[in-house]
Amino acid sequence: MRFNKAMLVFRKDWIEICRNWQVLMPIIVVPLIFSVVLPLVLTLIPSVTISQGGSLGELEVFIENLPIHIEEQLRNFSEPQIMVYIMAVYFLAPLFLIIPLMASSVIASDSFAGEKERKTIEALLATPISDEELFFGKMLVSFIPSMIVTIISFIVYSIIFDIMTFNLFNGMILLPNIDWILLIFGLAPTLALASIGLTVMISVRVKGFREAQQISVLLLIPILALVFGQISGAFILGPYVILALVILFSIIDFVVFRVGVKLFNREEVLSKLT
Amino acid sequence: MSIIEVDGLTKFYNSLVAVDHISFKIKEGEVFGLLGPNGAGKTTTIRMLACLISPSAGSARVSGYKINENPLAVREIVGILTENPSLYERLSAHENMEFFAEAYNLSDLDKKSRRIRELLEYFDLWERKNDKVATFSKGMKQKLALARALVHNPPILFLDEPTAGLDPESAKEVRDLMYLLSRREKHTILLCTHHLEDAERLCSRVMIINKGKSVVCGTPDELRNKITNNPSIQINLKKIDTKIIEAVKKIDHVFQVDVNESPCSLKIVLSDLNEDTPAVIKNIVEAGGLVLSVKALQPSLEEAYLKLIKEVH
Repeated sequence: MRFNKAMLVFRKDWIEICRNWQVLMPIIVVPLIFSVVLPLVLTLIPSVTISQGGSLGELEVFIENLPIHIEEQLRNFSEPQIMVYIMAVYFLAPLFLIIPLMASSVIASDSFAGEKERKTIEALLATPISDEELFFGKMLVSFIPSMIVTIISFIVYSIIFDIMTFNLFNGMILLPNIDWILLIFGLAPTLALASIGLTVMISVRVKGFREAQQISVLLLIPILALVFGQISGAFILGPYVILALVILFSIIDFVVFRVGVKLFNREEVLSKLT
Repeated sequence: MSIIEVDGLTKFYNSLVAVDHISFKIKEGEVFGLLGPNGAGKTTTIRMLACLISPSAGSARVSGYKINENPLAVREIVGILTENPSLYERLSAHENMEFFAEAYNLSDLDKKSRRIRELLEYFDLWERKNDKVATFSKGMKQKLALARALVHNPPILFLDEPTAGLDPESAKEVRDLMYLLSRREKHTILLCTHHLEDAERLCSRVMIINKGKSVVCGTPDELRNKITNNPSIQINLKKIDTKIIEAVKKIDHVFQVDVNESPCSLKIVLSDLNEDTPAVIKNIVEAGGLVLSVKALQPSLEEAYLKLIKEVH
């Protein structure tokens, strides 16, 4: 595979995306909500709830499932501190994985389906760019912006969270911690790549962008499973779990890419021209 | 030497036979026309030769490369103008050209810039090079698509309706360019067109296909001859009288004489244009006729096409 050809496809699509507000808006709006609004709400509401006589309630179950060293650390915290800590550090962690998926699903859905809709695909397929290079280039153009957005959102989230909790935790800086670093730089990219690969495969097979996006929404289900798994206390996304997931998703990424290239068929793409 | 060799090329879409055992050869530098009504299989044939779709049966070689064995090599040496201009409308004309130049391995910065400028200037698009393609007219898009097909200076061109959507002046520019490319620069052109005028002016040979099958293949003259048994001439005269008509009719190889009184002219069907025309003129002059002009009458390629297509139906 010639990397420069994949980058060529990436550059061309990147310029197109930067000039298309319909694609840019969802990529910008969703992370804004996650990184700015949610930490504000999550740090303010628990303080108010508990100061008005509320208690940790069902969070007790969650705390019991935490690793011993975290549990010990929490024993030194007050109830408002525990609630804010758990909500912002643990509950939002898997939810944050939605950002790269949402951002990439818009672009990945548009990858081949959009070219079919705009009738630009035939000239692209006629070039001496191989199936692998084309597929990888289309994956890159979804992956790079979505990871940029995710990392920026993570930085913004951490800054806002640390500012909001500075007094509550007596000057203690809580984010970034090792879990979040592994999550953002390990799990998010590997998970995003798997999702992008599958969405590009869908995009090859459908007639239009909307159809591709509707189907790709299904790929959010595993993430929602992680969110609910963590909230219910079924498992905790600690460093070892995250590392295991990174390895698992790296294997899935490789398999998805190979299968995607294998199933990529120029004839099938052309047969879906509207 | 044939640069394109097509042997029994066939394409099925489920039960539909889009192309049915088509065979032809195209010589280097030749402009070969593929003519036929909508749905005849022209675009499918081009798509198979450009390695965009694979044939169900048969084989083809493009510049020695088998289409089903070496698709990347075939795509590298072929420039294709598809039915739709296939341009990125959010990119400028220059950005479109740059993308395709690099996709076709034209990576040398100097060469690339010179080639892009040369083509955009030829098609009068240089002034608009930084404008988004979305703002272009249909004709401008078609010209840009043609410039894109030529960006890597391919020895072989597959052009699907290259003059579609162009005004007469632009269409002439494109025809002139095709003529130049084939005659001077020895580019081989496979031309799909509905414009029989284009085919007549440019193609050294044409193939008419209908319902996926080859109807006839030959030079435009050969096709015309297929629908006419005997040639005919039209002679314009100062005046016509029975003496002149009789003088013409008595020639052995004259089969039919039609008289037109206003303007005075005779349409004469004869055996051989070169052999019999001098004798006809001689007899008219000897009978006292004053000849103003003589014109050989040939059916147009369009007439030949329509007749041949009808015969297959």
